[in-house]
Amino acid sequence: MNRLAGRGPAGGAEGRTAGDAARHAVKVFRAEALKQHRQIFGSKLVVFSMLIWPLLTLVQTYYTLHPLAATPGIAARWPLAADPERLLAFLATGTLGFTFFFSLVQSAWHFSMERQNGTLELLFLAPASRLAVVVANGFGALVQNAWLFACFSVAMFTLLDVVNVAHPGMYAVVFLAMLVPAVAWGAFLNSLLIFSRDAAFLYTLLDDPMWFASGVRLPTFALPGWLRAAGSVLPLTGSLVVVRGALLDGQGIADLAWPLVWLAGLSGALLLAAAGALKAGEARAQRTGQLRLF
Amino acid sequence: MIETKHLRKEFGGKVAVEDLSLTIPRGRVTGLLGLNGAGKTTTIKILATLLRPTSGTVTVGGLDPGNTPHAVRRRINLIAGGERMVYARMTGRENLWYFGQLYDVPGKLLKTRIGELLELVGLTAAAGTRVEQYSRGMTQRLSIARGLINDPDYLLLDEPTLGLDAPIARDLRKVVAELAERGKGVLLTSHYLAEVEQLCEHVYVIGDGRHLAEGTPGELMAQTGCHRRVRITVSELTPEVEAAALAFDDRVRIAPQADEHGTGAVIELSHPGDVAGALTTAVIAAGGAPSGLEIAEPSLEDAILALSDRSVAVVA
Amino acid sequence: MTVAFATLRRSWLVTRRAYPWSYFVGTLLTGAFTMGLAYLGLRAIGGDQVSAEFAGKAGTADYLGYVAVGAAAYMFVVHGILWTGKAMIQEQREGTLGALVVAPARRLPYLLGFAMFAFTAVAVEVAVLLGCAALLGVRPAATGVLDAVLAVAGLALAVFGMSVVLSDVMIVAGEAHITQNTVFYAIAILSGFTFPRNYLPEAFQWLGELVPVTPAMDVVRGVFTGGAGLPLDRLGVTVLVSLAYTAAGLFAMPWAERRAMERSY
Repeated sequence: MNRLAGRGPAGGAEGRTAGDAARHAVKVFRAEALKQHRQIFGSKLVVFSMLIWPLLTLVQTYYTLHPLAATPGIAARWPLAADPERLLAFLATGTLGFTFFFSLVQSAWHFSMERQNGTLELLFLAPASRLAVVVANGFGALVQNAWLFACFSVAMFTLLDVVNVAHPGMYAVVFLAMLVPAVAWGAFLNSLLIFSRDAAFLYTLLDDPMWFASGVRLPTFALPGWLRAAGSVLPLTGSLVVVRGALLDGQGIADLAWPLVWLAGLSGALLLAAAGALKAGEARAQRTGQLRLF
Repeated sequence: MIETKHLRKEFGGKVAVEDLSLTIPRGRVTGLLGLNGAGKTTTIKILATLLRPTSGTVTVGGLDPGNTPHAVRRRINLIAGGERMVYARMTGRENLWYFGQLYDVPGKLLKTRIGELLELVGLTAAAGTRVEQYSRGMTQRLSIARGLINDPDYLLLDEPTLGLDAPIARDLRKVVAELAERGKGVLLTSHYLAEVEQLCEHVYVIGDGRHLAEGTPGELMAQTGCHRRVRITVSELTPEVEAAALAFDDRVRIAPQADEHGTGAVIELSHPGDVAGALTTAVIAAGGAPSGLEIAEPSLEDAILALSDRSVAVVA
Repeated sequence: MTVAFATLRRSWLVTRRAYPWSYFVGTLLTGAFTMGLAYLGLRAIGGDQVSAEFAGKAGTADYLGYVAVGAAAYMFVVHGILWTGKAMIQEQREGTLGALVVAPARRLPYLLGFAMFAFTAVAVEVAVLLGCAALLGVRPAATGVLDAVLAVAGLALAVFGMSVVLSDVMIVAGEAHITQNTVFYAIAILSGFTFPRNYLPEAFQWLGELVPVTPAMDVVRGVFTGGAGLPLDRLGVTVLVSLAYTAAGLFAMPWAERRAMERSY
């Protein structure tokens, strides 16, 4: 056998410099995102679950709500719905946001398979930041999954001519208000589902209740107070407020300051919770030999 | 070296490993044997930082995995056989690259190393093929390359040849021996005792999570009093032959064997001494006509079986 | 019938052990939330009114009742297909399809067994869903007992016909997830579950006619929505299209099984 090239990184002490740790985290992030790309890319499922199914759902929702929008006095109750095109755009943003966030539920469900396949143990065997892995996994899934429908939505908004933006910079705000909470949400779900005994159940639980409570198909004023409160802990709710406010109602940064602050706080909390779940899950695995926490 | 002292691991009150002290020095292959459920995999997972001992200590090259897990993880790796522990949708090369990133292997070095490892496990030609198209043996070879991606100081091998084709298993054994020669500390568990006998300079035998015996394979055989087995086949078993054989040693066992004449038998004796010649002479002197003679040297397998029988007796 | 009962019994045993609550909850949630959407929407968006266009096209101004009947029927269809249509691919995944192909049991009773099981389970679930609807003040009423029985039987027959065809598609494709969901999303639009079909462009209305649950839903609407009574012509279409689906599915099954077996070896 040939000798293996060189020595690896010198064993080193645990106390690597913060710079080293950050550099390694970036490598892990890149590798994990690429792995996601390979796992998902070109899969027929993506085309269906990210484009065809959301589109069909959008059509169904539009026709289901249409009888309610075309009623006398709608302009007073919900001005937006008085214009069918704007109603469609409202529902499309909802569908887009939901697709975005639900793709992470889906990828977390796939990620939970790593526990069954034995590859989760390999991740725990390696000296890589676990948080970097779950964050990157969510990010990779998002980029792979949602671009299709995002392109479609942009095309549709352009065609419907309903976009009313205060400032071109708001497009960047919209983008970040979707991406950052979604990635945090993905990391949270990944860390939750890999340790969950019944990941399929969580998956089911996050499908219908999420669109219902987040105002995907209804404006939040239509929801009862308790449901609005429950929905506000889902990052999708805040994202939709920002996206719709900025794209459909021409709101600027100042108008959306509170939702943005809330989203930032929520994202931070989700990441912290993810880190906590990973620590607890790994510690439990080391104690009991079972990679299950919930 | 890896050292464990009075290792104990229990899962919810059930003890899997009890008072186990092992030393795995660099530069040799250390064997860990036991019957199923003896605690081998638990022990290996503790050494790999995947499990934390309930009590007792582990040090890896002087480091405590409890305090500095990442530093320990950089120096070790685990290869478990029979499991598909790589990503199916990625190519072989991509899998190795991915794990190289997790281990923070510098880019240039990683590139060279991946090439070498692919060569080593004979997957160079299939490097660009997705793993889902690999055969079982290829997948397992890839997982062996994966286990070497961080050029670990200590390699933990849990049944690495399980399910491998014979030639591949032979190549792997060669690799393992060479890794040890180059100064790596290797811990090997295997069902194939011949493999352990061939590779390991030092073997620990455990049963029910406890230390039963240790030593070189030869020492273990001597300790357990394993015997040579002599088998003489005769085409006709007359009462005289039977009497002579039993008179030679009362541990002789005779099993009638139906051959074309319907009268044959196998005369078998396990004995510590070299008795094949004497027994054969006795059989011939009684008028027997041996048609076959087999002498089986004692194997590690016999030693393990003897040890585990003994431990069952102790537990019972 | 022995095969059918054996299959029914086996499904029941397996289900009781393997699928505790998550399955039930999952299917129930979709229906419950669809109705919740209609209820909240009616209050906040419609201001308790519905457009005259809807009343004209649906034959009723009772929006909630319309959606509730649709959601219950949708649940019935989806769950029926999930059980019966996925029976074969489930066997394939568990590696027992080979044993089934070799066994001299006929496919029709086998699938009927699954359907019987499915409809028993679904009946309970639909009852729970309608219980939720009752909480929202919905009281769907049928135009008659016989009408109701015929309408439900027609829907069941349509589900069975689709399931037989989907069985073939799934084992040939070696895939269930994409197939089943695409069918579910498509019929949600085409077959008039939550909105009148004549909202759709005409081409899509005709497309809906290709699926047996569309005429079956027209029958359900006649009986449970608006009180127009049982439309015999649509019931006839339901039976014809459903039987055509069943026949085509059974006819193609030996071929599909061969393809499936070839693919897995």
